[in-house]
Amino acid sequence: MLSDATILDISSWDGTISPSEFIAAAHAFAEKWKLRCRGLPIWSWICCRKTPFISSHEVDGYLSLEKLCILRSDKMEDHGIDDAGKEGLNCSENEECTDSAVLVHESCLEVHYYDLHVVYSSSYRVPVIYFRGYRSDGQPLVMDDIEKDIPANSAKVLMESKWTFMTEQEHPYLKWPWYTLHPCGTNEFMRLLFLIDVSLLEDRVAAEQYLTSWLSVVGQVAGLKVPLQMVDSTPPLTTS
Amino acid sequence: MAEGCSGSILQFAPFQSSVDEGFWHRLSSLKLNQLGIDESPISITGFYAPCTHPQVSNHLTLLSESLPPEEGEQSFVRDRSHSNRNRCAVPGILYNTNTIEGFHALDKQCLLREEAKKIWADIQSGAAEKDSALLSRFLLISFADLKKWSFHYWFAFPALVLDPPATLADLKPASDFLSLEEAESLSVACNEWRKSSATADVPYFLVTLGSNSRATIKHLSDWEACRHDIHKLLFGFYDPCHLPNNPGWPLRNFLGLIYSRWNLKSIRFLCYRENRGFADMGLSLIGEALISAPQEWRYEQHVPSSVGWELNRGKRLPRCITLSKSMDPIRLAVSAADLNLKLMRWRALPSLNLNILSATKCLLLGAGTLGCQVARMLMAWGVRKITLLDNGRVAMSNPLRQSLYTLDDCLNGGDYKATAAEKSLKRIFPAVEAEGVVMAIPMPGHPVSIEEENIVLEDCRRLHDLIASHDAVFLLTDTRESRWLPTLLCANANKITITAALGFDSFLVMRHGAGPFRPTQDAENALSSDMENMSLCDKNGGQRLGCYFCNDVVAPVDSVANRTLDQQCTVTRPGLAPIASALAVELLVGLLHHPLGIYAEGESASSNGTRSCEQPLGILPHQIRGSISQFSQMTLIGHSSNSCTACCSVVVSEYRKRGMDFVLQAVNEPTYLEDLTGLTELMKSASSFKLDWDDEAEIDGDEFVEI
Repeated sequence: MLSDATILDISSWDGTISPSEFIAAAHAFAEKWKLRCRGLPIWSWICCRKTPFISSHEVDGYLSLEKLCILRSDKMEDHGIDDAGKEGLNCSENEECTDSAVLVHESCLEVHYYDLHVVYSSSYRVPVIYFRGYRSDGQPLVMDDIEKDIPANSAKVLMESKWTFMTEQEHPYLKWPWYTLHPCGTNEFMRLLFLIDVSLLEDRVAAEQYLTSWLSVVGQVAGLKVPLQMVDSTPPLTTS
Repeated sequence: MAEGCSGSILQFAPFQSSVDEGFWHRLSSLKLNQLGIDESPISITGFYAPCTHPQVSNHLTLLSESLPPEEGEQSFVRDRSHSNRNRCAVPGILYNTNTIEGFHALDKQCLLREEAKKIWADIQSGAAEKDSALLSRFLLISFADLKKWSFHYWFAFPALVLDPPATLADLKPASDFLSLEEAESLSVACNEWRKSSATADVPYFLVTLGSNSRATIKHLSDWEACRHDIHKLLFGFYDPCHLPNNPGWPLRNFLGLIYSRWNLKSIRFLCYRENRGFADMGLSLIGEALISAPQEWRYEQHVPSSVGWELNRGKRLPRCITLSKSMDPIRLAVSAADLNLKLMRWRALPSLNLNILSATKCLLLGAGTLGCQVARMLMAWGVRKITLLDNGRVAMSNPLRQSLYTLDDCLNGGDYKATAAEKSLKRIFPAVEAEGVVMAIPMPGHPVSIEEENIVLEDCRRLHDLIASHDAVFLLTDTRESRWLPTLLCANANKITITAALGFDSFLVMRHGAGPFRPTQDAENALSSDMENMSLCDKNGGQRLGCYFCNDVVAPVDSVANRTLDQQCTVTRPGLAPIASALAVELLVGLLHHPLGIYAEGESASSNGTRSCEQPLGILPHQIRGSISQFSQMTLIGHSSNSCTACCSVVVSEYRKRGMDFVLQAVNEPTYLEDLTGLTELMKSASSFKLDWDDEAEIDGDEFVEI
């Protein structure tokens, strides 16, 4: 109900959205995603209680999608980080008896997981993507690993859209560093995107569509493909 | 015995652990802020869910929420949705040791036995039937190396060992085992169970299949009501494992419970798995396990043996994770500082060369009001190599104007400024390569006795070496004569030299022109050799920009003697030094970005209007003079003088010829420099003019400047 009520007027628009537009768009987006993208991990709104006296966040939460998984078959390229525990741990100390009921199984698949958060930036007045990748044991992926995970055509899109600079910054709510695409060019990009979009006959566009279009570009950095169903303009099915 | 007629040994896929980065962050801060050296075990919560992917098993995951919340710091704790269907809470215990030795010394077998004993007790007391997650109780040992931000850890998922092991009578996908109606009904029932907030995180359950093909799911505590339909009963559990031929680890203790409490020897189990968030009867397995464990299993006092330490790539080794990238404040500061500069490059100045800036070694002569401020500005621009030279100590009056010092630096007679400044720079930005050099600069007009001669000569050589080993030199001392030797040495070495000087309410910032001689081809660093290749300057001095002394017609003399205290100290309006320092650094940055570098012509604001070759950073002036009383600032150009006491070819070649002897003579003989350069002659011929030359504090005589 919130979704289509929040309409942006783009005739004299600078490509930014307000906090309330963001919140409405985020909820509408998550709802639509749940209906149309069954089977994909779901987006959920993570509520963060406001701290009294510190009003650094105009929005008391963010949109989150966790454990998006990317399978890689080349497990055997060592990531060389573990084995740090090698330092002479004496394990011969009569460990547990070899137990025949334990399955010994080495998976030949390496799995990379990605968490994506969409946070509102009060200074730039645009959504910002924060993301991180990690291996199945929780070991974080570094920038190089992440770049290798980006499919070639997505990498190209990100390269060409010159405003997508990947950096590492403190997550505004979690307070430790996540990767992010710097928001400094987002509003200009979004303004142009909606200016040239001929399918928009009226000068008005739903804020939720803003989020979808934006995420379909920036989400690629963390392996997210926004399904076509999300941009289908027919009204979402009303399920009972 | 394992080769029982009914089938093979039932093998369980071990539980796998996954620790979220957030968990280590929280553990670190808990350790630092609350636990201190307390090593008592901590109750933690792990989370797991049924497998949701046909190729990937689920893990037992630790998140920041796994640890108890920190006292008084609940600002941004995520609201824990109480029954997140993908986060079934499992109780665990954490032994975090204070040392790596302590970590290795832990008696792992004993710890595992302890936890197994708890599981056994929960089975015997019936607690596990009320709260089935108790069956999956786990154990974590760790050592958090908070200095290196690395964490050594090892999980154990204790499992009670049935000896002889259970054998498998049958195992196949649930869809093959059940009729279509039963499978359909079971899916519906499971989806209901997983949807309801009351049951979504209950990982063990009973399934009864009615004669009408209807499946019903019940809690373990409803056993008494179900036991009469044993042939239609399934023992279900959330299976994190994805493998088609093996159940996951949580079944082990469940079998133990069923066997020891309910005395069943043939157990039909359901490995409940999902796909895309819904029950998947193709991935879920139904099997039948046969148990023939000895009678002791029936006795409460007897605790079965246990296994469960997680392997690290098939080996019995702890794991280690290093998070210095996200926890080391120095690395964080560096990347944050870089980001600011990169942003500038991305948005406003694509040609900004951050590598040149971070590679340029700057030597700051003087660590007073100007030196402090210049150092800060250099760091802000991404300069990482800064050497400060000063022989003074921090006095009580200094910290207010000299922005690197605090009262602490003044105590007990005061620290050396050079040392205090170095420390302060590192405090501001730990990645800076700062160095303080406590040393005096030999000055003309301050004669030295024979005894001091060696010290002075040693200082000269040191200064020479310092200038040779740096790329840019800032002259920021408070007297005119202390700038003479550095100016000469820089002209000789053809180093970028920038001077800032203050009057009471006016200032001068300038860059010195190149030296009178082309540098030798074996220049020490690439920076200057690049520049010399592009040299446009002709050596006769006609085009060369002037140095600080070029505009003067007196040699530097002792300017401090015979002056009152307020004249001796640099009494200036406090706003002046930051302005002049900032301009000096901006001038350097412009110079480093100019294709001609030290040979770049002087540009002035007025001549710039229609310039086509304008640099992205703007014009590159030679001198900037400003006055606070007028709130004005102007750019000027002054060419080098053939009778300059510091940079003309006569002086530099004399220095090259005689070296330290020359310096000593200049220091000791008041008129030597003037005689050498012909200034004495000039003065005589100009004696008809009434000139009132003074030290650098008076910068008003602008006749010589070409505007």
